[in-house]
Amino acid sequence: MTVVSFRGRDAVQTKGRQDDGSGERFDRKPRIDGENNMAPGQDDHARFARLVLPHLGDAYSLARWITGNRADAEDVVQDACLRAFRAIGSVGDGSARPWVLTVVRNTAYTWLRKNRPSAVLAVENLEDVETANAKPGDPDSETPETAVIARADAASLQAAIMALPTAYRETMILRDVQGLSYREICEVTGVPIGTVMSRLARGRNHVIKTIGRTES
Amino acid sequence: MTHPLIYEDSTLPIHAYLDGELDPTNALAVEKPMATDPALAAECERVEALQRLIREHLPREAPPPGLRMRVETAVGMRHPRAQLSHAQFSWRALAASIAVTAVVASGATSMLQAPSRTDLAGDAIVDAHIRSLMASQPIDVASSDRHTVKPWFNGRIPQAPRVVDLAKEDFPLVGGRIDVVGGLPVPTLVYGHRKHLISLTAIPAAGHANSAPVPRAVDGYNIYRWVEDGVAYWAVSDVAAADLDKFSELFRATPPDR
Repeated sequence: MTVVSFRGRDAVQTKGRQDDGSGERFDRKPRIDGENNMAPGQDDHARFARLVLPHLGDAYSLARWITGNRADAEDVVQDACLRAFRAIGSVGDGSARPWVLTVVRNTAYTWLRKNRPSAVLAVENLEDVETANAKPGDPDSETPETAVIARADAASLQAAIMALPTAYRETMILRDVQGLSYREICEVTGVPIGTVMSRLARGRNHVIKTIGRTES
Repeated sequence: MTHPLIYEDSTLPIHAYLDGELDPTNALAVEKPMATDPALAAECERVEALQRLIREHLPREAPPPGLRMRVETAVGMRHPRAQLSHAQFSWRALAASIAVTAVVASGATSMLQAPSRTDLAGDAIVDAHIRSLMASQPIDVASSDRHTVKPWFNGRIPQAPRVVDLAKEDFPLVGGRIDVVGGLPVPTLVYGHRKHLISLTAIPAAGHANSAPVPRAVDGYNIYRWVEDGVAYWAVSDVAAADLDKFSELFRATPPDR
């Protein structure tokens, strides 16, 4: 794919997507076989088994990284799977992974808003705050050597990623752990590609610096 | 500071470059300044080191034990045993309950630590096989190459199963999937035989003596179970008992590195 330019995130307009947690916006991929009116039955269960169940591991992993908690992640995945099942008739037959992860992400945010509103609120303005704080002239005094990064252990890596604001954390997990393309991450997180790129860059730099401080 | 300062905007393309998101022209535009600017090259190395670290320590994972069963119950693919009523009676529930009866009645309780675990095993394995037949894709990884199937399990479950190639004997490898048995994620290999599929589930059974395949039939499905080197193998299929018997013997007789 081609990334045409590196305009700032402000130059790219969001598409006004709704984060209502239902995943219904994926109705834009209607099935053409006219089976939408079928009552839930074996066909839906078979589609669910084929399209959703293979991605349960990724779904759980994303939910755990967003909620920060195994038990909550399982609840979120169960709830998300119910939503996915209800919408299973209107989903295309291609790779369902971005769609499944979208439903999981939206469900996780609904859960966060209900149970930990402060966590979500903090995310909204962080990019502005960071931009305001970032001075181009700052020397990168904390940036560690490659060897220092390489010898970090799993626990400090996890802690460094967990310390990121949710929006940065989810973007990094989707790309660096689950291997989604930028386009797919746009689809899952509902933000423009410029934002995905800047979140990845900032998130990674932040993790690198945190590891540098921990390891030195 | 003597080296050029790195600005946020000049490092952004490095990430897209390392992620393989740039077309050749833009990739060149990133490589060129990196060749002459050590600070940019160092930034690139750091991001690469982080990506290696993540690959090493945070592999993609299998769902935790029991989650799949929980989800399947939530969407109505599986009925909780306690709530089984006549209204919910189906041939699948019938097959599963017969499996439990058959396993218990045959004295197979020595296979796993506790009788309840054995119930779950027989139940879950037959369920998983039947469910996989209902789905149009009975496998999570589709490949006839055991060098593809075996590594697929690594990182998803604690121990990848023994995978052998039986294509010459008319039992071609079709792929693999992860089933949940007794709350544990376990590997299932799927082999083909003419137009039928054979599910071969491998369950850790450390401390159990090796045993020859024991056949039984459950509602049209043949099941062969044997223990070898601390692993209990369950072969489930609707192929003829003689064919499943042959499959079991071939699988046991074939070294994995053939």
